[in-house]
Parts: sequence; C-alpha cells; structure tokens
Amino acid sequence: MELTVLGQDEQPEVKSGCSAGSCGSTDDQLNHLPEEIRQKVHNHPCYSEEAHHYFARMHVAVAPACNIQCHYCNRKYDCANESRPGVVSELLTPDQAVKKTKAVAANIPQMTVLGIAGPGDPLANPERTFETFRRLSAEAPDIKLCVSTNGLALPDSVDELAKHNIDHVTITINCVDPEIGAKIYPWVFWNNKRIKGKKGAKILIEQQQKGLEMLVERGILVKVNSVMIPGINDEHLKEVSRIVKSKGAFLHNVMPLIAEAEHGTFYGVMGQRGPNSKELQALQDACAGDMNMMRHCRQCRADAVGLLGEDRGAEFTLDKIDQMEIDYDAAMVKRAKVHEAIAQELEAKQSAKVQSGIVNVQFGEPAKVYRPVLMAVATTGGGVINQHFGHAKEFLIYEASKDGVRFIGHRKTDLYCSGGDTCGDGETVLGMTIKALEGCEVVLCSKIGYEPWSQLEEAGIQPNGEHAMEAIEDGVLAVYKEMIENGQLDEEATTQEKITA
Amino acid sequence: MALKIIETCVNCWACEPLCPSNAIYEAKPHFLIDAKKCTECEGDYADTQCASICPIEGAILSSVGEPMNPPGSLTGIPPEKLAQAMAELQAH
Repeated sequence: MELTVLGQDEQPEVKSGCSAGSCGSTDDQLNHLPEEIRQKVHNHPCYSEEAHHYFARMHVAVAPACNIQCHYCNRKYDCANESRPGVVSELLTPDQAVKKTKAVAANIPQMTVLGIAGPGDPLANPERTFETFRRLSAEAPDIKLCVSTNGLALPDSVDELAKHNIDHVTITINCVDPEIGAKIYPWVFWNNKRIKGKKGAKILIEQQQKGLEMLVERGILVKVNSVMIPGINDEHLKEVSRIVKSKGAFLHNVMPLIAEAEHGTFYGVMGQRGPNSKELQALQDACAGDMNMMRHCRQCRADAVGLLGEDRGAEFTLDKIDQMEIDYDAAMVKRAKVHEAIAQELEAKQSAKVQSGIVNVQFGEPAKVYRPVLMAVATTGGGVINQHFGHAKEFLIYEASKDGVRFIGHRKTDLYCSGGDTCGDGETVLGMTIKALEGCEVVLCSKIGYEPWSQLEEAGIQPNGEHAMEAIEDGVLAVYKEMIENGQLDEEATTQEKITA
Repeated sequence: MALKIIETCVNCWACEPLCPSNAIYEAKPHFLIDAKKCTECEGDYADTQCASICPIEGAILSSVGEPMNPPGSLTGIPPEKLAQAMAELQAH
C-alpha cells in the first residue's frame, strides 16, 4: 500500500496504461493545425492518433509528492495489475530515471517521448523533475521531453520548463468554475496552508489558466486533459473546451472517470459512476466543434513503457537495467534510422490515401445517405489489422459513414485491471469483451476461434477475419461498402430512426 | 513537543522539503520526524507544514498522539461510509 522507493522489493509485473492504442488526435484533425505544430507532434504518440500506431512513449516515476487532492485519486494505492494514472510500482531517483530512459530508448528505438507524469504532480517535485529533464536534454537530445501537471505550480515553473526545451505540456483542467471545482478538489496546498473547498478550487483554477496563457505566450504546446465526471462537470466541459481553445491550447483530451470502491477514492467509495462509452463519445463530439479532440488516450500509469496500449515496464525494472550495457551514441544512430523509416512509411500511406481518395468517399447513389456503423479492430500497432481476437486486450473503434472512416476511441476488454479472476467477480473474459464492444456491429481481427465467433454473432457483432494484414481504414471501408451492397443498411435506417426518436 | 509520522505514511516526500527545521528524514519503512529538531513550526508558520500537505489521514500525530488529520478530514469520505464500502468488498 505504499510507494516503493528504489526497488526495495521485487515488484510483480508492471502493467501500464497508455497501451498500443490511443492517446491523441486523429490525423485528419492534425491536418488543420499549422505546419509548425504538426512538425512538433507528428511523432508524438500521445498527441497524434496516427503516430500512436508507430511510436512509443515512456513515463518515469520521479515525482511522488502532490500539492492537491482530487476526488478520483487515492495516494495510498499501488496495485501492479492496475493501469491507471497515478499508479506506479517503483519510484525512481533522477539518476535511475536517466538510466532507465536510455535503456528503453536503446531497446525500443520507436520510443520518441519521455514524460514525467507523477505519481504525484511533477511540478510539486521541482528538483527531481528538473534534474531529470536537465540531464536528459544533455545526454539524450533525440528524445522529446514532456510533462503533465495539475497546474497549481505551473506559473512558477514556466521559465524553467522553457529552459529545458520542453515543448509539450499537459494540464489537467476539469473545470473553470470554483463551485464545480469544490466538488472535484477537496483541498490544495497553497502559500504554506491547506486550503479547502471553493476557495482552494478557485486558486487552482486561476493558476491553471495563468499557466496555460504563459505557456502559449512562450510557444510551448499545451494539451488539456479533462476527466469527465457525470453529473459533476460533464456539461461544463463544453465551456472548458471553448475557453482553453480560445487561450491557445492545441488539443483537448476528455477522459472517462475511473471510479471503483476498491480504489478507495472519494468517487469510488461514494458511488459516483464513470461515463459509458456512448456518453463519452457524445461529449467528445460536442467539444470537437470547438477544438481538436484527442480520442486515443489510454489513461496510462505514471510508469508506463512502450506503445500506447502495451506496457513493457516489466522488461525495464531497476534490477534489469543494472545488467544492461547501453552505448547511447550507437543507439541514437539506430534510432534515427528507425524513425526515418517510419516517417517514410507514414508519408507513403498519406499519399496513397490522397490518391485513392479514401478521405472523403461517397457510396452508392449520391442522394442516399446510410447510417454510420461502428467497428472494432484488433491490432498490435502499425495501423494494420493484425491481432488474433483472443489476444486483444483492447480494440480500436472506428466509425464508417458517408464521410469516410474516422477513429473514435478504444475499448479495453478488461478495463484498467488485468488481475483476472483473482481480483474480479470472475466474469468470463469473452463476456467482458462482448460488453466492451457494445454498439459495434463488426469486429475486425486477423483470426478468431469458433467459440467466440458464435457468441459474438449471437450478441449482434459480426466477426470478420477477411481483412487480416490490411490497413485498418481500408478494411473498415471495405466492410462498410459490403454492408451497403448487401442491403444491410437499407431497412435498418428506419429502425435506427425509431430508436433515436 | 514534536509531531510524529507513523506507519500509514506512503513515502510521498511531500512534507520533507517543507520542514523549516529540517526535522523530517527519509527512513525505512517510512519517513520519520526527529523529535529533537521538530518545533511544530512555531515561529515559522501558522500551520504545521508537514500536516498541512500530508495526503494521508492519520499518518501524522500531534505531540499528544492524536491524528493531525482525522478520518474523513482530507478525503471528505465519511468514516462510516468508508468502513461500509470496505466491509462490502471483503464480503465478496
């Protein structure tokens, strides 16, 4: 139940969040950004939806202290099976963090980004956080550095951040109204006092907004994260989105509240529910009118390693890193080649898209508009349908419609806990998967067993293994066209209308 | 007169840099307060600094052994509600 300092105990396997799936925006949405910003984010898995299929990130847990309390966080919690923000298994010193970063960068050349995200607030631990950045910017100059913060100490840290070449900052902003803030933040530590309630929330909100403005003034990219808490800030987040956009944040990431009684958080214990995927998508769509929305966030742990959606943290524990000999200069050469190859692949893909006109296709008779269809995809990365149904820990969700194919988000089959039968109610994995895919009509994968096939069909989800190894968008589009040709979307259009009516 | 850190401490480091008397030090299994150095912040701050940032209810005791942050005071979770939730989880 405590934050382990420096590998005192052998830690069990670390599962971390932001797995190979999603923490960013769709490439289509990035296309609206100025060239300068696109250059900065094109290989950042947490900022670019397209990049997250190819590039990896890691977090180093050097920042244990926090200066506020959020109702969705419990500082006592550390479960190795949990994949949620604020959870870590091994706290690192800056020296250990530098060593780990180099080890990961040498072994996973796709790694482009090093973030400090906790488990507390990075800027409430300025010495540890900035020492880590200072050393990495000198010793591993090919790695992008980023930081996420609750914003309370941000205005005081902006100059230091600018000094270390940190060009990406994420601020978690859940509200701009202290009345609402008081329902999310029970206290903040400010000017040597613990300040509770509305007064504390007001200080936090002011600091967040000031910090956002100061970062934008200095040309540092700002992403805003918001936790969607039904009944508390869900409607309000539309206003938050509008305000942060107008102040120059370039991306908004609305994430669902994670709240379970066993986490011991205020919301968990008090029975506050998180949003379902439909509610989350509706809010993301409502905010999208105002700004670039990020839909691929995996809400990863503060010590996650690898592609979003996967966690390779267990390969890089302190005792394992100690055994590794790292020649970082050689690693940088190799990394540059790998990044170049990925960049070429992405470019080729992009121009193929433009040529085939997938981006905006019309189907069937021009006058006829078919309803959109949600499809789930099993993938291990690379933007390809390449995973066995039974191996998928999460599915990427795409919507096919008259406007083409767009990425909507991801669904985890086991949510954020991978403890399995040992710490759940023993519901079958297949049952949980089918529940997670609610609303999807098709699931695309490389292969699938007989048993899950029939159960999926019974649940109204058509399994499809015919597009294995194809690009995701191509596969989804092909299936959508097939559904139109088979007349599957003709009659249902009316039933669908009835349902919504 | 001195405050005391007990075993529910989660080693988050938040208190350590705030202590005006440098009385707090890292130790295993958890941080400790040097009773000889602790002044309870008298003369430096109106509020005891360690107890004002500590996120864990009950982890810091006053000189008479009472929790500086009693159950429910930081999280807002009523103690009986927490006990009930934990009992329900145990029952499963």
